[in-house]
Amino acid sequence: MKHFLKRSAVTALCLLLQYVVAAQSTVTGKVLGENNQPLENATIQVKGTRKVSLSSTDGSFRVQAGAEEKKLLISYTGYETQEVSLVGDGLISVTLKRDTRQLEDVIITGYSTQSRKFIAGSIVSVSGNSIKDIPAAGFNQLLQGKAAGVQVTSNSGVPGGGITFRVRGNNSINASVDPLYVIDGVFVSNTDPVQTSIGNQQQSNPLADINPNDIESIQILKDANATAIYGSLGANGVILVTTKRGRLNSNAKIGLNAYHGWSTAAKKFKVTNGPETATLANEAAYNTGIDGGQDPSTIVLPFPRPDTLKTYDRISDLFRTGNTSNYELSAQGGTEKSTYYVGLGYLKQQSIVRPSDFERYAGRFNYDNYLSSKLKVGTSINITRTWRNVSSNDNNPQGVINSAIFVRSYLPVYNANGSYAKYGSFDNHLALINNLNNNAVGWRTIGNFYGEYSILPELKLRTSWSIDRSDEYENNYASTLISAGVATNGSAASYQTRNQVLTNEQVLTYIKSFGSNRKHSINALIGNTINTVLAESTTATGTGFPSNNFTAISSAATRSGSSSRAEAKLVSFFGKASYTYDNKYSIDGSVRADGSSKFGVNKRWGYFPSGGITWRASQEDFIRNLNLFDELKLRGSVGLSGNQNGIGSYAAQGLWSAGANYLDNPGDAPSQLSNPDLTWETTRQVDLGIEFAVLKNRLNVIVDYYNKYTYDLLLNVPVPLRSGFASYLQNYGAVRNKGVEVTLHSENFRGKDFRWTTDFNIAFNNNKIEKLASDIALGASGRNISILRQGFAVNSFQLYKQLYVDPKTGNAVYEDVDKSGTITSADRQIVGNALPRYTGGFNNNLSYKNFDLGFFFYFQQGNKIMNMNDFFLVHGGTQRNIGFVPRQLERWQKAGDITDIPRLTTYSGDPTINGGSANNYGGNVASLSSRYLEDGSFIRLRTVTLSYTIPPAALQRLKITNLRLYVQASNLFTITKYKGLDPEVSSQSANQNTAGYDWATVPQPRTIQAGINLNF
Amino acid sequence: MKRSVQFIGLITLYISIGLSSCKKYLTEIPNNAVPSTGAISDAGTARAAIIGAYDGLQNYYASAYPTLGTITADNVVFNGTLSQYLQLDQNAIPTDNVTTVAAYQGIYSTINTANSVIALVPAVNDPLLADEEKNKILGEAYFIRALGYFDLARGWGGVQLQLQPTTDLSALKGVKRSTQDATYDQVLADLVQAEQLLPEDAKTRNRAQKSTARALRARLHLYRKQWADAENYATQVISNSKYTLVKPYASFFTSPFLSNESVLELTFSANDKNSFWNLWYPSSFGGQYTLKPSQGVIDKLNNPSVGGTRNALIAGSGNAVYGVLYNTYATSTDPSYLIRIAELYLIRAEARAQQNNLDGALEDLNTIRQRADVPKSTATTKDQLLQAIEEENSVEFAFEAHRWFDLVRTERAGAVLGLTNKNFWLFPIPYQDILSDPDVTQNPGY
Repeated sequence: MKHFLKRSAVTALCLLLQYVVAAQSTVTGKVLGENNQPLENATIQVKGTRKVSLSSTDGSFRVQAGAEEKKLLISYTGYETQEVSLVGDGLISVTLKRDTRQLEDVIITGYSTQSRKFIAGSIVSVSGNSIKDIPAAGFNQLLQGKAAGVQVTSNSGVPGGGITFRVRGNNSINASVDPLYVIDGVFVSNTDPVQTSIGNQQQSNPLADINPNDIESIQILKDANATAIYGSLGANGVILVTTKRGRLNSNAKIGLNAYHGWSTAAKKFKVTNGPETATLANEAAYNTGIDGGQDPSTIVLPFPRPDTLKTYDRISDLFRTGNTSNYELSAQGGTEKSTYYVGLGYLKQQSIVRPSDFERYAGRFNYDNYLSSKLKVGTSINITRTWRNVSSNDNNPQGVINSAIFVRSYLPVYNANGSYAKYGSFDNHLALINNLNNNAVGWRTIGNFYGEYSILPELKLRTSWSIDRSDEYENNYASTLISAGVATNGSAASYQTRNQVLTNEQVLTYIKSFGSNRKHSINALIGNTINTVLAESTTATGTGFPSNNFTAISSAATRSGSSSRAEAKLVSFFGKASYTYDNKYSIDGSVRADGSSKFGVNKRWGYFPSGGITWRASQEDFIRNLNLFDELKLRGSVGLSGNQNGIGSYAAQGLWSAGANYLDNPGDAPSQLSNPDLTWETTRQVDLGIEFAVLKNRLNVIVDYYNKYTYDLLLNVPVPLRSGFASYLQNYGAVRNKGVEVTLHSENFRGKDFRWTTDFNIAFNNNKIEKLASDIALGASGRNISILRQGFAVNSFQLYKQLYVDPKTGNAVYEDVDKSGTITSADRQIVGNALPRYTGGFNNNLSYKNFDLGFFFYFQQGNKIMNMNDFFLVHGGTQRNIGFVPRQLERWQKAGDITDIPRLTTYSGDPTINGGSANNYGGNVASLSSRYLEDGSFIRLRTVTLSYTIPPAALQRLKITNLRLYVQASNLFTITKYKGLDPEVSSQSANQNTAGYDWATVPQPRTIQAGINLNF
Repeated sequence: MKRSVQFIGLITLYISIGLSSCKKYLTEIPNNAVPSTGAISDAGTARAAIIGAYDGLQNYYASAYPTLGTITADNVVFNGTLSQYLQLDQNAIPTDNVTTVAAYQGIYSTINTANSVIALVPAVNDPLLADEEKNKILGEAYFIRALGYFDLARGWGGVQLQLQPTTDLSALKGVKRSTQDATYDQVLADLVQAEQLLPEDAKTRNRAQKSTARALRARLHLYRKQWADAENYATQVISNSKYTLVKPYASFFTSPFLSNESVLELTFSANDKNSFWNLWYPSSFGGQYTLKPSQGVIDKLNNPSVGGTRNALIAGSGNAVYGVLYNTYATSTDPSYLIRIAELYLIRAEARAQQNNLDGALEDLNTIRQRADVPKSTATTKDQLLQAIEEENSVEFAFEAHRWFDLVRTERAGAVLGLTNKNFWLFPIPYQDILSDPDVTQNPGY
């Protein structure tokens, strides 16, 4: 598995040139590392000669030494080189010390492991430790603020719910913008398997199937040099996850982690009370009469006595204290020939808004066995069962939150006869909370078997066979008590969804150092992969049930079913080589060829090369003489990577689709235009980086500049509707992302009892659509609030820009963009976008004796949020069946009032007059006013943790090696100007181009938890 | 070293074998669609294609088009929460109004399927597809295309005429909007073809027949104020004994549907649902109650000398009166009512009145009133008659796609609805087309 680049800090000679002279003796020995682990592939060199050997799997080595040769140099990546004297002829045992400096890290890159010193790419490593025990289900969610250039946002506060994860911005418009996740070499599917609609939001985070506690480390590959080896899958970055494995010759280590958390909402929805609602409705009716030229004395107010109206609180019913319980048990260890890791985990998490729940059982088994000194086989298996109680929200009027906040507050929750009262399009929130029966059970198996054979010490072949299979089985029953079931006497749906990724890969690796003083090092590999992605689903529905006690479709009067299947294949060949000279200069290059079944017959194959150079300036005398830098490295890379994810399996084919039936006869109709030239979307990325360490390695700094240009976008170009089609997928358009990332690690204080470290990262990204056929407007259920326009960033918002509310008339005045004197759709303009200008994290760890205090902030700045709750609930009286939020109370009432909320009216007169009352809430503007667009910047105390580690001495008798107790608070406070519940929100996340909407969404929970970590 | 050379050789061999079998390996085909080339190649696919065209009609007639014809006028008011309906009710329609866009897109998509049938079916050479059936399929396609362009012309004015199936986007270039007259000319041309090709039998009401084409032609002539032709074609349909006014009024919209009243209705079923009722029924039935009968129409329907038995169109009481024309809330199988024989009587009445055949007009008008158990009309002058016919249309087709289009074609929308700005008598061309189509121009006022 591990192809270690040999350390070249020692001198060496090419093995080929080695010849055996007479009068030699054989020296044998063993190289051990940390915790007396045997080190494989350590370099053993007879000092002052060309004689070199490598240690084998169990750390043993054998080298020929002449009589006059007295010393060995033992070196190993990530360890300090050691010199050993040859005294006598006994077995030499050498224990190497871990090299602690950060820039000496060994990191896993695409298909290989390299020393950070020589890597030309931009790669961030996050240790498993830093993401454990945080009450969120998905490890990718936990990377928020941990890595510069990685933007992570939870779309809602629903446990196990969808997240937005972007590496260096949005590269694409219609193809996927999610990175590739590789877990122990398995390409895992990030396709949301949950079908039960919850509005227009991504229903689940498929990576919540992985227990974060099983993770050893995560590498985020950001630039082209690092990702090009993944070719067509790597354009959006690659997340490599390595799970924990046992170590050879180690005793069993049992770990037990448990915590319990209590979550509440930091802020709850607010609506106007009964009398306020009635007053507003009266005012709207009165003003409408005036605008329509009615005699004021004849206007009939809908509520003659507003003060007599009651207020019914629905919002308190929504929220609860959500409990989170987490238990984990793990065991790891190894014998001389094999290692094992077993992990079991259980997580149960309640949403703070009823009735969503999430539950996960996860089991992992990792095993490696050295069948011989040359052949190693192993496996990694993850089996997870998840359960979700799926609750609809967002733009579904029959969702729980909508039913509570949209209904006017003077309307009773129950009818006089005690049944649930329903109004307008809305359901009754309590009916939903008490009767929602949407069970989604997922089974996920991620498994990998590999074999690794050392043909020569420097040449190794690895073959790996992987499966990622997720089966989601959803059974929903809408009872006669909720709107979805009342008309049909109960309605049920069942979805069986399968996503399967099969991957086979072979990699041949060659690692070698040679030349005088081992000045030359080569690390090369070639390989291939075959990847098959299969998505299948079967749906059955039934309506008409004898009673609510029957919930299976088999008991329904009317039943129907449907199914779908899509398969895509990808065949790839790749090669990569790097060369290091004298420990100072490295150059590397890689190339990958990919053939995808998704593309047109003419252009199926794509080729993705990359190259990079590294200069370790700190190895140069003139830098060394400055006595400033402990490490100084400059690197640059350029390369291409491709994207084919996110488009349909048959996207290039001209198709007529079935299902267009009539009179129960089968029919079909044109569904897609053919594009035989459809091919790869390509991202060209340039990355320049500098890494340095100063002040005796106490301050480490990494700065990166990148410029990514994505061209031949896989774009659903809107076509004139008269064609019979709405869009045509073609390679057209370009997007650029460029930015700067800064990462700091500082050891502020390093005393005997007190230590203080700070990590800080910040990333600026600038996104711009460089080329687009025509504007593409979309979002908010056809309201087209989001727009893609050449020259602007993706996720831009397009609205009528409200200049002011005329203090004299109370009517809203909008910018007349085309100076036509009227307000028409030509006056819509881009007024902001949902992408943050920068994001970052700020983490501090203070430890004093056995106490540790950590606090971690996440921040983002410059993004806008479209507050759809205000959009609907500040409607000026136009919606008779919808209540108001308190912001409506700020409306203009009399001449001289200064406010941004216009006068209430439902008059629709001439809808083109700017400053006319029709456009206050209706008219051409139709409330698509910039007054509902808000600044979504925030800084949040993500976690603060206080822990106490009980001194080992006190535990020895109990045979406990480590016991840690902690309390932690998540999302304790948030500083933001955003007036909605939570600025971390994206309710329309089912489409990547409609980010930044807040629409009846569960806010992020504030959680207090207490936990224990125990090791035997 | 030798071994590694051997090994690299082996890998090279492996790769080259891999490459040669890749092409086949990388070919994937779907299991629920067929390639466009050859989509219509034999009897089975020809039949499936015309079914697909009807499905297109279903798509835009199930809810979008009847909504456009009702909530925009005075019989139906907005009572929901979805703003696209509010915009229609207020006749202040933004260019991205969801309902107008859905209808416009649905119509052109249907036309494209019909165009495919018209272009490809004549070339199908399959012994299982006799000429008779071929003609039937072609006739249906011509009829569907005619209906599509008719529905576009009366909603959006003259539109771009696409008469070939779209296989290549470059063929779209340079097609400008036609005038409304030219669009109607195209409708007429297709109807002439359809009438020739279509069969006629004694029972079919949910697929196009000769009489269906004639009925639409009568309506077309009425819209174009070609009174003699309107009367002539209306008479041809009325004289077909297949069609009669059913009594009571409610029986045409009562399951099992397909009453003798129907000239064309689109049938839905348990596996092909129409949940338009959902927009009409209150939430206690599981509906959204977005479309609510106006007080005006409630008063008319409840008035025995105006509505008569047509009061069966509404139910409920007080503030919660709702329309029940679409009423299969348990099964969602309501048909879409496109042409009823009652319309042909009123077309002929209007055409006769316009030609000063007042007795004939009155007779047709009273036929309709009689069926609803409403006393005979007292109208005597031409103007009174025309006014009475307008009123009758409003009540007879209270919740069908008529009132708005009637008021616009008779230029009475200003007087009746107070919508004096004629720009808003046409719906806006979808915003997306304005952005993506250099050949289209927006209707004035949007």
